[in-house]
Formats: sequence, C-alpha cells, structure tokens
Amino acid sequence: MPLSPAPATAQGIPQNIPRNELLILENPEGTIKNAGWFNIWAINAGSQSNGLQQAALDTLWYIDPEKGLDGPWYNSLAADKPVYNADFTEMRVKLRRGLFWSDGVEFSSADVKATVDIQVKNANMRFSAVLANNVASVEAPDAETVIFKLKKPNSRFHTNFTVRWGAIWILPKHVFDKVEDPLKFDFNKPVTLGAYTLQSFDPDGKWYIWQLREDWQRTSLGSLGKPGPKYLAYVDPGPPDKRVIAQLNHELDVIHDIAPEGMFTLAKQDKGTRAWFKGFPYGHPDPTLPAVIFNTQNENLKNRDVRWALALMIDVKAVSMAAYRGAATISAIAVPPTGIHPEAYHKPMEAWLKDFEIDTGTSKVKPYDPTVGKQIADMLRPSMGDQIPSDPAVIGNSFGLGWWKTNVAAAGELLTRAGFRKQGNQWLTPDGKPFVVRLMVEGDLRPVMTRAGTMIVQQWKQAGIDARIDVAQGTLLTRRAAGDFDAFIGWSVETWGGHQDLSYFMDSWHSQFVAQPGQPQPLRNWQRWTHPELDKIIEDIRRIGFDDPKGVELGRDYVKLMTREMPIIPLMAYNVFTAMDQTYWTGYPTSDDPYANPVTNWGNSRYMFVRLKPTK
Amino acid sequence: MNAYIAYLAKRLVQFVVVVFIGVNLAFVITHASPIDPVEQSISAVTSFGSTSPDAIAAMRASLQELYGLKGTPSEQYVTFWSRVLRGDFGPSLSAFPTPVSALIARALPWTAGLLIVSTLITWVLGNLLGGLAGYYQRNRTLKLMGVVAMGVHPIPYYIVALLLLIIFGFLWPVLPITGGSAMNLQQGWNWPFVSSVARHSILPALSLILIGLGSWFLGMRSLVSNIVTEDYVVYAETAGLDSRRVLGSYVMRNALAPQVTGLAMSLGGIFNGAVITEKVFGYPGVGTLLVDAVYAGDYGLVLGVTTVSIIAVSIGVLIIDLLYPLIDPRVELR
Repeated sequence: MPLSPAPATAQGIPQNIPRNELLILENPEGTIKNAGWFNIWAINAGSQSNGLQQAALDTLWYIDPEKGLDGPWYNSLAADKPVYNADFTEMRVKLRRGLFWSDGVEFSSADVKATVDIQVKNANMRFSAVLANNVASVEAPDAETVIFKLKKPNSRFHTNFTVRWGAIWILPKHVFDKVEDPLKFDFNKPVTLGAYTLQSFDPDGKWYIWQLREDWQRTSLGSLGKPGPKYLAYVDPGPPDKRVIAQLNHELDVIHDIAPEGMFTLAKQDKGTRAWFKGFPYGHPDPTLPAVIFNTQNENLKNRDVRWALALMIDVKAVSMAAYRGAATISAIAVPPTGIHPEAYHKPMEAWLKDFEIDTGTSKVKPYDPTVGKQIADMLRPSMGDQIPSDPAVIGNSFGLGWWKTNVAAAGELLTRAGFRKQGNQWLTPDGKPFVVRLMVEGDLRPVMTRAGTMIVQQWKQAGIDARIDVAQGTLLTRRAAGDFDAFIGWSVETWGGHQDLSYFMDSWHSQFVAQPGQPQPLRNWQRWTHPELDKIIEDIRRIGFDDPKGVELGRDYVKLMTREMPIIPLMAYNVFTAMDQTYWTGYPTSDDPYANPVTNWGNSRYMFVRLKPTK
Repeated sequence: MNAYIAYLAKRLVQFVVVVFIGVNLAFVITHASPIDPVEQSISAVTSFGSTSPDAIAAMRASLQELYGLKGTPSEQYVTFWSRVLRGDFGPSLSAFPTPVSALIARALPWTAGLLIVSTLITWVLGNLLGGLAGYYQRNRTLKLMGVVAMGVHPIPYYIVALLLLIIFGFLWPVLPITGGSAMNLQQGWNWPFVSSVARHSILPALSLILIGLGSWFLGMRSLVSNIVTEDYVVYAETAGLDSRRVLGSYVMRNALAPQVTGLAMSLGGIFNGAVITEKVFGYPGVGTLLVDAVYAGDYGLVLGVTTVSIIAVSIGVLIIDLLYPLIDPRVELR
C-alpha cells in the first residue's frame, strides 16, 4: 500500500484542468513519433488512438461490439441505414442535416463525395485502394443525399463506412480543397466533425488533450446527450507496471489493457477500479478469436485428421490457466463468444455440438464436453472464492460453454489413419520423420498468447509430437503474411461483435484470395485454407443483405464446416483487461450494463462519454 | 611536428574507413531484417476495417513504390549513400512522410540532456571517489563505498530502475515515473516546463548514475591501486611530497587516460540513446525511437540513428586519438 496519499506522479495532471472535467485514457499506441500529424487519410502516419478516431472524427455508421445505447447500430452522419438497389450495384445514403465541422462549416454530401474522390485520385492514401476497387462514381445530387455507383455487386460496401474499430472517416472538403498534396498535409490543427476538438498535444507524442466543442449539440454524438467529460486526455502511461501504478495513484482513469496479474493487483488494492466483469474473469472479451492457426499448405497439416488429432491433445483448462490464470472465455466453435454471438451461434449450436461425432477409423467419439466452462469455474472457486459466479448462465457468459475433451487415444487413432506411426513415445510422419510442429508466438509483445502457446506445445510434446515454440517477436506480421510457420497463436476470425453478420473476416477466406505458398496472403485467412463448401457459403452471403436472417443460417453452416475440418483450433475470446477507475468518473460500460465498448482505442468508446458522470 | 602530422593523417584515414565500414554494415544488417515494413503498414491499416483482399494487393504495390522499396538492393544502396552524404535519411516508413532527420532532431535533445548530465556526474564522482579509494586504501568510509559499489555493480540495470519506480512512484509517490515533462505545458524556456523536465529526469538520471558510478569507481580504484606501487610514486612519497600533490599530479593524471577514453566513448554513444532507460521511464529520446523503429521495420529510421551514432562514436575516438599524444607523452606517434 502507498505510504502517502501524495498527488499525481506519472506525467502529472494538467493543473489548469479540474479533475471533474478531465477523463484520462490510455493511448495504446504509446509514444507517437510524429505527434503533430492528424491526417488519418495519409497512409500509416501519426496516431489514430490518440482521440482522433474516438473523439474527433466521424463517419456514416457505427456498430458497437456490445449492445449499444439503443441497439448496436448507430446512424451517425447518415440519417438511416444504407439502401441498395436489387443487385447491390448502387448504395444510396441519406445524411443528417444540422451537423457542423468544428470551424463552423456545415457538413454535407459534398464532404462524403470529396472523401471518395480525393482518395481515388491520390493512389497512395489510406483508403485509395478499397475505394478505387469498388466505386465507379459517387454523386451528391443534393446536400443530404449521396449515391455510390459500384463497379461490381457488393452487399457489404457500407461496411467500409461503418466503424467497428475504424472505417473510412469523412474528411472536410473545404479544408482539403486548399491542399496541394493531401499525402504531405499534416492536418494540424484538425478540423473535427466529432464532439471534441484538439486543445493541446505533446510534440514528443506522450499526450493529447481534446476539449468538448461548445457546439457539441451540432455533432452526431450530441444527439445522444451531452458528453460528461469536458476534456479527454489520451496519454502514453508507459509499460504495464506503470499503468497499474498510475491507476492506483488515480492518474489514469481508463487503462486499455494490462496483464491478468496487473488486473488482479488493481482489483485487490483499489476498490475503486472496475473491470468489464465485476469479479473474475474481469476482462472485456474482444470480438476476436485467438486460435491455433494451422498453415494448411504445410504437407503434414493438410489432412483434417491430423488437425483434429492436435486439437484432441489439448487440455483447454490448462491453456486457460496458463494464458489468463483462468480468466478466459473459451469457445469450441470458430466464432468469438462475445457480443451477440453467444445468442446467435454458441447457445443454439449446443445440441449439434453434443451430437457431433468423429469417426477415427477405429472408433467413434463424441468429442464435445459442454461442462468445460463450468469445470474452469469450479477449479478456480477454492482459490478465488466469491469472485467466481455460481449461476450457470453467468458462468457460461464469463467462462464460456463447452470445449473438446482431451482424448489422446482418439488423437492417436486419427494420426494412424493419416499414415503417421508411433515409435516409442514419438510420432513419425508418413515418410518416417519426426512429426515436428513449430508453434509461432509473438513473445513478450503479446504475453498472454505466448503463455497459451507454450502450454499447448508442452501438451503436444507429452503426447509424442516434436512440438517447438517459435518466438517471432516483431517478425510475426511478415512471417504470418508469408506463411512462414507451421502453426501460430493469433486470430483470423474477427467479427462485428454486436451484429451477427460474419462478413468482417469471411469474405477474405474465399479461395479466390488464397495465395500460393511463399507469397503474401491477403488479409486474415492466415490458415490459407480453401474448401468448396466454404466458397459456396461466402458466395451465398455476398448475395444477401447485411441484416438478412439467412446470414445467421449461413453462419451456422460455416461453424459446422469449420468444426468438421478444424483448419484453426478455436481457443477463447481475446480478453482485454480494461480497468476503469471510478474515483473521478462513474457510469462506465460493464457486463451488467454493456452499452458500449470501453476499450480506449475503439472508435465506439465515444459512446461512453455521454454516460460518464463526475463523482465530485 | 612532422611526426604529429603523419599521425593525424593516419588517424583521419582510419576514421573514414571505420565510418564507411560501420555505415555499410548498418545498411546490410537493416536490409537483412526479416521484418517487412510494407506488411507492418498493411497490418496497421487493415486492422481498421474490413478491407477487401483486392484492395490489400493494390495497397501492397502502392506502399512498395511509396517507400522506395521497389528498386534493386544496389539501387537502394546508391540512393542511401547519396542521401547520407547530403545528411538526408529520407522519410520514416512508420511515421510517413516525416523525415528521419526531423524525428532524430526532435528526440536528440532529450537524450543528450539526460545522458550528458548523468554521464558527467557519474564520471566525475566515480573517478574522484575511486581515485581516493585506491590511494587511501585504509580509509573506512572509502572501503565501505567499495563494498557498496561491488554490491550494486552487478545488479541488472532494469532491476535498479524498477526499484526506483516502485519506491518513488508508488510507495512514496513524489517523483514522475514516465515521460519527459508533465501534461499541458508549453515547451520552451519557461519555468513550469523547465522545472517539469528537471523533475521528470531525476529517476532516469538517478538509475543511470547508481549503476554507472560503481563501474567508474571500481575501474579507477583498480587503476590507482596499481599506480601507487609504481617506482615514481613510491619515490615521490619517500621524497616527502605532499600526498594531495602525489595523488593529483602523479597518480590521478596517469590513471585518467583510459578513463577519458571511456568517457569519450560514452558521450559518443549518447547518439544511440540509453535504450533501456528510455523504455523503462518512457523517455522521449533516441533510444525509444530506435527500439520502435526496429519493431516497425523502419529501415530509414534505424539507419539514420545508427549512422549518426557510428559517426559520433568515431568522432569521439578520433578526438581522443588526436589529444592523446598531447596529454600523454607515453603514446608513440607512429
């Protein structure tokens, strides 16, 4: 415990801003090298999570990965949902009127058109490629109407203008019209469409302070109420230990993410700290799905029997303990157990999973154990006491439902059928070599997943696989794109969270995009997996609307196919330990009131500003 | 004098050769990096939305062109040297299109301010106390200092830094634990900012001084312990010269030569930044810049920092080489 309740120490609290007007949040991007760059439309420049995308920018729609203030879908700059023509080659958008840029100019369809035209004209801007590939032309027949003519049918074109974590932000035409080269324009000071405008920033990139606009009612957020904090500070509080110290000293209201141990320390030492779940497992589950991702172009891993064998050698309870000290939400299926997905996929598919059977060639096994989530809760109860829920529904939401029973015997039968053979305690490949599986992990850049990978390697070794940890550190992105791995821990499934549609990741899984071995793989199908049934599901989804109920049916078909084929072994949600200090502010979103995503770098976190109230 | 000119010319040639080899090695090593800056950029961009695979392919081609990575390695090598000779390291890839030189210029004053002050304090204190300890070997206080220095010296740097953080940032929270200055201050020669910078530099400087002090102390004590047994020192003492004069003029002066070399190397190394210090204390200096650049595969920035560092260290060594014959007659001009 601190010996003295001395005042702020990290970077200090701005003395000229009362604490009851200032919300301090972590910018997870750390120290920003070119701090004075706010042109988010120039590729890879400046910071985005410094408040720029959360507080200053805006676009047509938002989807919250949680329940939302009034449902997960927000019409932001748009007045309504997009309207497509019958063959999805035209998208018509009606805009809100009465919204203004921070310099007093009224927002209109001309800004949307300019956002598209400028980026199509300048090939190296952030969204140039996606717009040039999709948009034949964009028209603004009046101030509140935009018509996108598309080059090819695309029932999900609007998702490019829909914030889940980021999107194509609308730029101010009247500012960019005066710019000679938009790639070299720093946009400092930014003219904003969001409810906040830049007050000051550190030229060395450690902090940014945003101030509520006096005309906040003339912004899209303003229609939901007055944001509580007059000022937002996005800061780099340093590494995880410093984040914990800063929050214990009440200098950091919202931590983006810390290690489980840091969260446990905060929960124990600071009764004012609140996480997503009130008690264990604390963390906020991202709509992403950490998994063992196989390189299915690897000769040994092409066979689904081998992949299933490796899955059956895993004890997910031990993996959960290793990775998150048990504070994980497990998932047996290839959809994260977060947002709307437990209701749309996990719970409705329990019966199918219980009946799901594998024929090993020697025996038939039903691998699904619906009680694994409960087992994890029971395992933790003796040490964590009352923090562990006893209500089965709460356990299901917190720890997940079921997973695969560890079954090394069945795994052996599957390997044998695939032509592998066991010599002593060592599995050999069909050509007589030791069965080596290198499991790539990110190292200390992502310690939770590294711990999970280490545990899985240990379990595989115990079962006779020559498994090895392969620490990639900063090379992971390059190696992942090039397919330079046998398997790695990461995610290739990312979803909207608050919406059941799976297009966010699924479209890029079509076989038309899968690269040849050694060539860079486009986007998210890191497992390089193709299957005719998968292609058909994707093509069917392309032909229906975003909200079409048939999308859920197709999503469930996808889950069944993924379960049968196991190109990735789903593990758990990516729990983000977002800690929220209630000393100065209350009203944060939590699992009890999941009205917004609290994670500081998400654009959707702006919705919590309208619910936050000062305590003093 | 002719001998000195020949010595000078030889050292200058050595300097040019060392810089040339060092910069070339930096070029080769960075370009052999397994990190692809294009993939790093694409990953950063695509994590923002549901970008289609076609768009990714187009973006990859655009980025390769934009970052100047399309040419052959030999073309890139020629471009690199032409830029180095002009003092231009091109744009940073991870902070495009900001010039590398602008990023280094922004970070360098922080690193230089912190390291020059802490290095000089450490060097002066360490050598002074080490010299005294080596000369007055029976003094109890100096003996105790030796024991403390022996105890502190092997402790890993980051342990000392973390201990300082916990003590002064948490248990007795009186000092800032991260950053170069407090929030919402106007940078410049104004008292609130200057005093804030000074406060923020206390913990990182203290951590550097605590660890560095032991090293200089033990080194100097060892040198002096050897010198005091030399004939000329014994002769001076038996001749009845004042012990302070013996220490200052005979012992310390002769012992300082290798320590001055070490100081020059340390000051030259400032351009590389105190990597661990800056990361632990979130200090906005060159060390932080370099580490982030390595993780981002930012060739230009890594090359910029390492080239400046190579040149700075080489200049430091050159200056010492040129001064040595003037301060130490034992150095031969050949």
